[in-house]
Amino acid sequence: MNLRILQTRQAPEALRQLWQRFRGHAPAVTVKRQQIPYWQERGWTRSGNRYAGNYQTPWGAFQGYAEQHGSSFFRFYILHPPQQLSRDRHWTCFIFRGGGAYEIHLSRQPADVGSGILAIERLLTEAFQQARG
Amino acid sequence: MKKLSVVIAGSGQIRDVEIQPGTTAGDILHQLSIPDYLLSKGPNEPFFASRETIYDKVEDGSKIFASTKAEVGTWA
Repeated sequence: MNLRILQTRQAPEALRQLWQRFRGHAPAVTVKRQQIPYWQERGWTRSGNRYAGNYQTPWGAFQGYAEQHGSSFFRFYILHPPQQLSRDRHWTCFIFRGGGAYEIHLSRQPADVGSGILAIERLLTEAFQQARG
Repeated sequence: MKKLSVVIAGSGQIRDVEIQPGTTAGDILHQLSIPDYLLSKGPNEPFFASRETIYDKVEDGSKIFASTKAEVGTWA
């Protein structure tokens, strides 16, 4: 069937009030909060012992991945780290592993992958802040 | 009094707390039985020191993160 909408108009006020009285208020709905790990909240995905996603900062998102070995040992990587990091005092902790990937050495291991991601995001943010002076 | 939602980074679990003026980050972590964690308003904000009073630094109803310590450090 061919149909063309020519115009949309509001119903008269009296009619809308009548409809509101007839319909009444819908019952309040309790919205449940999402309770998801930080890595998921940041859009990372998991495949086996490997997590992949972006380290997110106000200056941009940087691709990375992490590998979990055992219950709480993680190796974190960043692909093509920003130039600002190379001027940071932590740059010596970034070891080139080929293909644009740098492994980030953690002198203190986080207990979970989310805490590691958060720590690296914070490090990136600090590097950008320092670069801006 | 202010209400805060503390998100535990590892599990995503959210713990609701109510704080009074003078409450420190350490008070919250102790109360939640996660003394080894650190509190922050997010990845773009510094960690609160354990003895730091956070009442004036957080908004009522806001969300803060608790994450475990992780340090980027030099190779041994």
